Amino acid sequence: MSNAVTGLRIGRWEVCDVLARGSFSSVYAARRVTEDPEFPSVAALKILPGGTHTPRQAQHLRELVAGEVELLSRLRGNRLIRMYEVVTVDSPDCAELDGATAVVLELAEGSLDTLLAHTVRPVAGPALLAQVCDGLRHLHHAGWVHGDLKPANVLLMKDGTARLADFNLAAELSGTHAYGPAFATLDYTPPELVWSEVGEHGRTIRPSTDVWAFGVLAHLVLTGTLPLPGGTAAARRDATVRYGRGAEPLRLSPDLPEAWRPIVTDCLARTHEDRAAHDAASLLRRIEAITGGTPAPRLPRLRPLRWRRPALTTALVAAVLGATGMYALWDEEPSYGYHRCPAGSVCFFNGPNGTGEMCSWSGDDPDWLAGARVCGWTRNQPVRSIFNNNQERSERHDVAYYRGTGFVPAGHDTTRPSKRAGCTSVNQQGNLHGTYAPASHRWVERC
Amino acid sequence: MFSIIVVPAADDPAEEHLRLAPSESLEFGREPAIGMRIAHAGVSRHAGTISATETHWALTNRSRHQTYVVENPEGAGEHLKVGPGRVGAPVPFEFSRVVLPAAGDLLTFDVWAPRHEYLDELAELTGDPTAAAFPLDRSKRYFLVLAALCEPRLRGVPHAPLPTVDRVVERLRPMWPGVTRATVQWNIDYLAVKLRLKPSPDSADPGPRVNGKKATLVSLALRFDLVAERDLTRLDP
Repeated sequence: MSNAVTGLRIGRWEVCDVLARGSFSSVYAARRVTEDPEFPSVAALKILPGGTHTPRQAQHLRELVAGEVELLSRLRGNRLIRMYEVVTVDSPDCAELDGATAVVLELAEGSLDTLLAHTVRPVAGPALLAQVCDGLRHLHHAGWVHGDLKPANVLLMKDGTARLADFNLAAELSGTHAYGPAFATLDYTPPELVWSEVGEHGRTIRPSTDVWAFGVLAHLVLTGTLPLPGGTAAARRDATVRYGRGAEPLRLSPDLPEAWRPIVTDCLARTHEDRAAHDAASLLRRIEAITGGTPAPRLPRLRPLRWRRPALTTALVAAVLGATGMYALWDEEPSYGYHRCPAGSVCFFNGPNGTGEMCSWSGDDPDWLAGARVCGWTRNQPVRSIFNNNQERSERHDVAYYRGTGFVPAGHDTTRPSKRAGCTSVNQQGNLHGTYAPASHRWVERC
Repeated sequence: MFSIIVVPAADDPAEEHLRLAPSESLEFGREPAIGMRIAHAGVSRHAGTISATETHWALTNRSRHQTYVVENPEGAGEHLKVGPGRVGAPVPFEFSRVVLPAAGDLLTFDVWAPRHEYLDELAELTGDPTAAAFPLDRSKRYFLVLAALCEPRLRGVPHAPLPTVDRVVERLRPMWPGVTRATVQWNIDYLAVKLRLKPSPDSADPGPRVNGKKATLVSLALRFDLVAERDLTRLDP
């Protein structure tokens, strides 16, 4: 289907390249071709084909996507992939796609799956696990269960942080449990759900289902192997069953770091009841005690081997995008520090790529060197990088900054048509030439 | 978590189904220390072992002289022979009838392997392998029974009453001349095991128990697309 789709216009988007094909949908990179600055210039389009299925299958697929859309429109957090909109494809020339649903999502650089394919035991593993656990904590706290946590569903963003994605199988809890479709990935299924009983509504999944999957994921990331032995998924399922009925103890890899052993052991507790004692919030606290609360400074960089997009906004490095499976590790890349920027803020750094000293604001500031918040280093140092991490705002998402105080252009600004030093859209981050020394900023409707 | 069900010979109604989880095994014979007893003088004390592995099972023939036969009752004579002393012969059938020759008699018991897996028809080849939730063999009779049960609703009448067992027998006869009420009931019971139906709390309805089971089967099958419109062609000879 990819050939038919490439170049296709879907709403404000033009499809560029296929990123992944799944059982129920395909994901494409797309670029925005309209003037709608409230949307990012690039995004991932998850397309659920409409025409190729029988009405019943289509109904089933619609239910799957409806679940994901429901979740993403109600939950937003910097550990969950962001959804921008849902578009119905209107393409009478392409019967396959006409009437299909396209979910427009934040574009990732790759997934934990692609990272692990390149690097066994990545240095950033512990930091990524902390972020995954934080995502689960957020989901569970909001009353949802992911239901299909695995490396392919942990996406890595340009700044090297991890976000949970693929909520097709996610289910909203009613009381202590939810009903999920009765399938999941074998290697991440807890013993009690292997061939579990099924009611009319599906099978019962609970937060402890995600906790087990997190334990498997952590073992894989930290040791390079799955915790249950066996050469095939079916053999590992047998091992899971043996462990689940108490016929065999759990034998974790000797490569598992000592500090992580109790955490992984608790995640992989034999029964739901034992596992339920360890919720994602308590696991996160224990993990942060190991990782030190902040992610490791140097996160892995995934860089596509082909098509690099030109810079999209002045002075900002465009998001670099590519297709799953085409990444290479780029060891010479500088380290990144954007993750330090609190959600709901705009952050300015005196080093490139979010490194160095940081000043952050959630509101406007007419004078950086006076008032409630003073950003001292800007007195004699330029801003070298910026990150607009304020997805929380319901209006005025973008941030404009000025060389003069009180949102007044000064110096070089006065020669620019925009009469300001610069402007950064929501979710954008990148480096500035060393000539920017703003003195004030304010949130604006659009750049 | 079981994957294999051993059904002792029908002449002993007290015997219950024996369920094995992967890597569990079951001894059978005239005097097994533990396991399934087959009370016939012509059977060895320790006649053999059934061991469950992944979704299939293997038969060990512990007798010194007798060859055991494993038949596929739905396989039009398909069978395999397991010679004396053979250890762990894998059996590929979902339904098996193990035949033991015993002093002129032929003793049998059944073994089911309801967890056999099939590729999900919806899954594309390049995607992540998502395990089919309810792997069904569309060539098996249970699939015909399920399709016949779902037919009225698939034909576009969402709240059509479920067909009675007699209606199902009638519907399937052209395809399956030997069909009877009992075989249809048997397949409904088997489907409930295979699809891991949880007995629903409100199944204590006044009607015969099989009605609750039928309704749950149909609603599960339609909810998860186990039977689609195109499968209905299988009901026509």
